[in-house]
Amino acid sequence: MQLDAVVYMGAGTLLLFMGVASMALSKNLVKTIMSFQVLLFGANLALFSSGLGSTTRLTVDTFVLLSITAGAAVEAVGLAIILGVHRKYGTLDPSKVRKLKE
Amino acid sequence: MNPSELQPLILAGALVGTVAFALFSTKVSSSLIALFYSSVILAVIFTISGDALLGLVQMATFAGAVSVLTLSVVLMTGESRLGLGIKNLGVASVLALLAFAAATFSIIIGGSGSAFPSSYADISSQVLVLLWVDRPWDLLILVMAFASAMVTISNLMSKEP
Repeated sequence: MQLDAVVYMGAGTLLLFMGVASMALSKNLVKTIMSFQVLLFGANLALFSSGLGSTTRLTVDTFVLLSITAGAAVEAVGLAIILGVHRKYGTLDPSKVRKLKE
Repeated sequence: MNPSELQPLILAGALVGTVAFALFSTKVSSSLIALFYSSVILAVIFTISGDALLGLVQMATFAGAVSVLTLSVVLMTGESRLGLGIKNLGVASVLALLAFAAATFSIIIGGSGSAFPSSYADISSQVLVLLWVDRPWDLLILVMAFASAMVTISNLMSKEP
């Protein structure tokens, strides 16, 4: 494995864990979406680095391209849901939204 | 170590640093700007690794569209502070340690027992020359990135009448 692939794989794993931890612990829905974006960056970088210097690079790049577009679409839908939640409940704190729902 | 071998380390370090700043910043404007720069750095990583199309799509999608969408949502909801977002600092510390251990483990396993193998292919030896001479549209991407960053910063810093 090449050095850059190893370094990018490590950075991608780190970003993945940081995104998951921040998503699980965040108290703001906007921050949850930002954490999802970080998670997506990590997944894309790890996937991309797995194709560096290998014969399946074109396939890997195609999947990264698909992942980028799908992730952006998911994020746009998430932001629209956040806007709807803020209009209905007036807050972006998930725990408060849960209490207001009851 | 060859100086050109430092390039992926610098880029990966910059990416992780900007993302950490985006996640731990309490001001939403700082967080958005850091996330924008992390998108740009990821696009640069894709581009200099030999896949300029991925870099272009990453730049147009995340540094462009998604940043503007997030900025719009933040402006419409009126949220100016995100909060640290961490309820339990102990749990966060354990998770951060686990993340660091996983990254180190993947580096050592991926490098077949050595964190820095000597069989590093010469991808980035002439990357700067390629970037500025043979592929001038990469320069255009960078100029667009910095211009949009400046516009974003000036919009975020401007006060409402």
